[in-house]
Amino acid sequence: MPELKLKRGDVVMLEGQLSLEVKGGEVLISGGLRGKGSKVVIPRAKSVPLEVEEDALVTYTLGQDGKVEQLSERTIPREWDALISEIIKRRPKVILVMGNVDVGKSFFTTYLANTMLRHGLRAGAIDSDVGQSDIGPPTTMGLGIFEQPAALLYEVPLSSAYFVGSMSPSEHMLEFVVGVKWLVEHGLKKADMVIVNTPGWIFGGPGRSLQLYTLETVDPDIVVAFQREGELEHLLSSVPPARVRRLPVSAKVRSRSSAERASLRAMFLGKYFEDAGKLVLDLQKVRLKRCYLHTGRPVDIGTLGVQAQVLHAEQMPEGVLVVTKRKMDEDAIRELEARFGHVRTITQGSERNVIVGLTNDANELLGIGIIERIDYERGQIAVLTPVKNAGEVAAVQFGSMRIKPDGEEIGTVKQGTF
Amino acid sequence: MTLEQSEYQRLVERIIELSERYRGDPNACEAILLELRTLYKKIPIYPGIIAMLLPKVVQPIEVDKLKEGEEAALVLKDGRMVSGKVVEIGPTEIKLAECKQLDISTPPEKVSVRREDVREAKLITRVVLEKEWPSLDFEEE
Repeated sequence: MPELKLKRGDVVMLEGQLSLEVKGGEVLISGGLRGKGSKVVIPRAKSVPLEVEEDALVTYTLGQDGKVEQLSERTIPREWDALISEIIKRRPKVILVMGNVDVGKSFFTTYLANTMLRHGLRAGAIDSDVGQSDIGPPTTMGLGIFEQPAALLYEVPLSSAYFVGSMSPSEHMLEFVVGVKWLVEHGLKKADMVIVNTPGWIFGGPGRSLQLYTLETVDPDIVVAFQREGELEHLLSSVPPARVRRLPVSAKVRSRSSAERASLRAMFLGKYFEDAGKLVLDLQKVRLKRCYLHTGRPVDIGTLGVQAQVLHAEQMPEGVLVVTKRKMDEDAIRELEARFGHVRTITQGSERNVIVGLTNDANELLGIGIIERIDYERGQIAVLTPVKNAGEVAAVQFGSMRIKPDGEEIGTVKQGTF
Repeated sequence: MTLEQSEYQRLVERIIELSERYRGDPNACEAILLELRTLYKKIPIYPGIIAMLLPKVVQPIEVDKLKEGEEAALVLKDGRMVSGKVVEIGPTEIKLAECKQLDISTPPEKVSVRREDVREAKLITRVVLEKEWPSLDFEEE
């Protein structure tokens, strides 16, 4: 196995795929202190810096595209050191990291949290990039607490998560902003500080709204703005100048194509559902959330008198909701409209593959799942999920994506469908 | 989340519904689109009200019930479509002013067009999602 004898101050770039073991001395990987016996795996297409704290000996094995490159100087910009020194001194509670896609926000979050850990401060990291979440599965935002150093953000164990239900905050602004706030509050109960890593949607009305309302609701002590050519200034103009710290984007940052992102999402989701099993939940016991279904007063289906095989019906303030075995024809809908006003129809089977969040009574996300079937006659919902204990599940939150258990995205759900 | 967070979806669905209802009736479509533009300019923050009002722009009416001063679109038996302001309703004739006339008679399957007769051309691209954003081109339910 190849080895490296390193002197204090040496810098090495580790490019995955590789595995490395510290045989002696002390090194910093992504700012996290690693001593003798510490092992690190860097996956393909990821790279992290190793900085030597004390003369060290490391051994490594290279996989596909793996590379170990000794550099002549540090890769961490001086501005980062200055900001981190300030953070250690001032100990802000909430730090928000902002920037376009592929500017190195996740690495900075990891590096900062690792450095805090070295200084005896426990940092929580919130990854709010729902499509490319490093902490928690896609469609969720996750909170991880740095109890141990992590080379990459996805190594941090998930502490709490919030289900957004989509791969993008687009049309899901409410879940996004509520979720970030919820996670910040939870994070502050468990950690000395919380670092919020925000998505790279920074332009246009919705992008601006997302960032500005997140800023308002989170009210960070420090906003770390990664920008190349002032592309965040339109947002930073709303932040008190004393809270803003501008950082340049490292030239080493690697960008990903949308196809690469979609493929990574599928991989993470597929992995998440690898050990999933079928969980059958009683609709009398669990609440259905973020949907119309099961929010109205039950209607005796015998009294509807329409030419359709109706499985379930309920009266809502907005009209009547009817679930039928097959797609309801226009005449039957018009008949119901004449009696009830607005008619919302659901065809049995249309719920298949819809992604859902499963929460407990404290509104904490236990895990995500994929609906296999809703049995309206028996009042049961069958969900494929790694969550094992049906008794813990208090609510099912409907999402807006259709996913196959292997992680493939197969469609979206029109809002208002359920 | 499957609950709608705005009325924009209702507006899009109403536009689709009306465009299907008035397919082949360019006068009706034009009136709806012009009114949509006006409504959107005046009340862009109320897509639900725009959706509620749009179907009122074009409504079927019996010829006998038309009144002078109203704007109407008439489909004639020979396939022509005439629209304009009703200025006179007689026992055998309806007179329109500020008129527009369209001929939407069905053309033969193949048409030859002399190049010199072409004023402008527009390229039409269907299945644009598949071409431009294939990762979101899911099977239709």
